[in-house]
Amino acid sequence: MGTTIVKRVSAFLFILGVAAFLSIPSAFAEPKGKVVMFHAGSLSMPFEAMEKAFEAKYPGVDLQREASGSQKAARKVSDLHKPCDIMASADYKVIDKLLIPKYADWNIRFATNQLVLCYTDKSKFAKEVNAGNWYKILERKGVVWGHSDPNLDPCGYRALMVLQLAEKYYKNPGLYDKLIANRPLENVRPKSVELVSLLQTGNMDYAWEYLSVAVQHGLKYVKLPDQINLGNYKYDSFYSQAVVKVTGKKPGEFMDMKGGSVTYGVTLIKDAPNKEAAIAFLEYLLDPQGGLKILKEQGQPPFVPCRVPTDKMKSELPVKLQGLVEVKN
Amino acid sequence: MVKKGPFYWISFSCGIMVLTFILLPLVEMLTAPSGAMLRETLKDKNVIHSIWLSIYTAAAASGIAFLVGTPLAYVLARTHFRGKHFIESIIDLPIVIPHPVVGIAILGVAGKNHWLGQFLYELGIRIMGSTTGIITVLTFVGMPFYINALKAGFESISPRLENVSRSLGASMWSTFIRITFPLAWRSVLVGLIMCCARSISEFGAVVVVAYHPMIAPVLIYERFEAYGLKYSQPVAVWLVLVCLSLFLALRILALPRKKAS
Repeated sequence: MGTTIVKRVSAFLFILGVAAFLSIPSAFAEPKGKVVMFHAGSLSMPFEAMEKAFEAKYPGVDLQREASGSQKAARKVSDLHKPCDIMASADYKVIDKLLIPKYADWNIRFATNQLVLCYTDKSKFAKEVNAGNWYKILERKGVVWGHSDPNLDPCGYRALMVLQLAEKYYKNPGLYDKLIANRPLENVRPKSVELVSLLQTGNMDYAWEYLSVAVQHGLKYVKLPDQINLGNYKYDSFYSQAVVKVTGKKPGEFMDMKGGSVTYGVTLIKDAPNKEAAIAFLEYLLDPQGGLKILKEQGQPPFVPCRVPTDKMKSELPVKLQGLVEVKN
Repeated sequence: MVKKGPFYWISFSCGIMVLTFILLPLVEMLTAPSGAMLRETLKDKNVIHSIWLSIYTAAAASGIAFLVGTPLAYVLARTHFRGKHFIESIIDLPIVIPHPVVGIAILGVAGKNHWLGQFLYELGIRIMGSTTGIITVLTFVGMPFYINALKAGFESISPRLENVSRSLGASMWSTFIRITFPLAWRSVLVGLIMCCARSISEFGAVVVVAYHPMIAPVLIYERFEAYGLKYSQPVAVWLVLVCLSLFLALRILALPRKKAS
C-alpha cells in the first residue's frame, strides 16, 4: 500500500517535473535569429532607430531591413519569393493589392504622413516660395522640380494627386497640365528619397517628399493646406477627387489610383521563416511607448492605437497583437 | 595518345563547373519567356528605343575612349617615368569603385552647387536625366578597359619597328599613323569591344544619374518593379541577344588576322 502511494506520488512528481522542464523553454524563450523586413524607403530612418532599440531589448535577434519602393518590396515577396518576415508599405493598399490573400492575411495601419514641397537655400526663388505661391513658382521656366515615378512609388502618384487637388482647391482650371508641362520626364526618379540628393547637389530646385523625409533630412519645405496635403483623413472625400493613372498588371494596361490620406500598412508574411521574433518586433512597433513614439518624433504621426478595418481581420492577428489594435475603417 | 592524368581531369571538371555556373542561369532566363511574349515585347516602342539608346550611348562612350584613350595608352606603353604606376592606378579606379558611387560622384560635380556644374548649366549642358549624362557615366566606367587592352597591345609591338621608321626620316606622328597603329588595330578593336561591353552592362551608375531617358538595363529594372519578372525577362532576352550578336560580329572581325599571323 505504502509503496504504491510512494510510486504514485513519485510518478506525479515526475510528470510535474517533466511538464515544468518542457514549459521552461516556451515560458522563458527569448525570440532569436534573424528577422527579415522589406519596407518603404520613407520608413528607413524611424525603422533604423527602432532596430537599435529592439535589438538592445532582444540581443539574440538580428533585424535585417531592406528599403525600397513599397511596390518593389511587395514584388520581392510575390514574384521573387525572397524569404521575408515583415513587410511595411507607405501605402497600405499595396499590401491589399499584391500580398493578400496569397502571401499575407492581414494589414495593420500604423502611421500617417503628408506631402510637402522640399527645397534648399540654393533653390531658385527659395526666398519667395510659400504656401500661397508655390504653384506659380513651379510653373516658371528654368525651375527644375520633380517627383518619384508614379508607377513604382506611392509618393510619386501622391505628388500628382496633390497637383490635381491644388487645381480644385485654388480654383485654377488647367493648373495640373500647366505644371506637368514644366516637368520634363527626366525629373522623374524611381524613389522619392533619391530626389533628396538631387536637391542637395543642386541638380534640382524643388522635389515632392513626405513630411517625414523632409524632417529627417533637414530640408526646407512648404507645408500645404490640409485640403491638398493628403495628410488628414477627415478630407478623404475631397482627396478622392484626385485620380492618377498608373501602370497595371502588364505593359500597356493601366489602372486608376484614387486619392486618399497617406496611411502606412504593415503585415506579417504567411510563411515567415522566423515568426516568433517577427511578432516580437511587431509588438514593439505597435507599442505606443515603443515604435509608435519613434514614428511620432520623426514626423510620421502614428495611429494610437493602430487600426485594422474589420473584426474578422482582428481575429486573424497573432494573439499578442490583438490587444494593440482597434477596429476602425 | 598521352595518358589523361589527374591534372587533366581536375581541369576538365573545373571547366565544366565554370561553364555551368555561367550558362545555367542565363539559359534559364533566355528560355523563360514564350515566343509570343518575345514578339509582343518587340512591338513595344519603349523597348526598341531603350535598346537602341543603350547601343548608341555605349558606342559613343567607346568613341570618346578611342579619341582620348589611344594617345594615353601609347604613352603608358612606351615611356617610363616617375609616378607612372600612380597614374595607372588612377585609370583603374573606375573599375574598383562601386557603381552607384560613380553615379553619385558625377551628380556631385554636375549640380549647380559645384563650380563645374554651374559652368555646364550656363553653357546649357545638363547631366542629370540626359543622354549627355548617360554617355558621361559610360565613358567613366568603360575607359579603363579600353586603355588597358590597348596598352597591352602597344607593349607587344616592338619599338624597333618605330625606330627604323624614325631613322628613315618619318616624323613621330607619321610613324604612329603608318606603323604602330596599323599593327595595333586588333588591340584597338578588342579594347573597344571591352569598353562597349562594360558600358552596355552598366546599371548602378546610370540609374543614379539618369532614370529617364531609359537605357535597356534601367527599363528592365523598371519593368521588373512595375510588372514583375514575367515582363522584365523578355526585354532582358532581347538585350542579351542584340548584344551577343553585335559582340560576336566584332570578335569575328578581330579574328582573321590572328590566324594569318
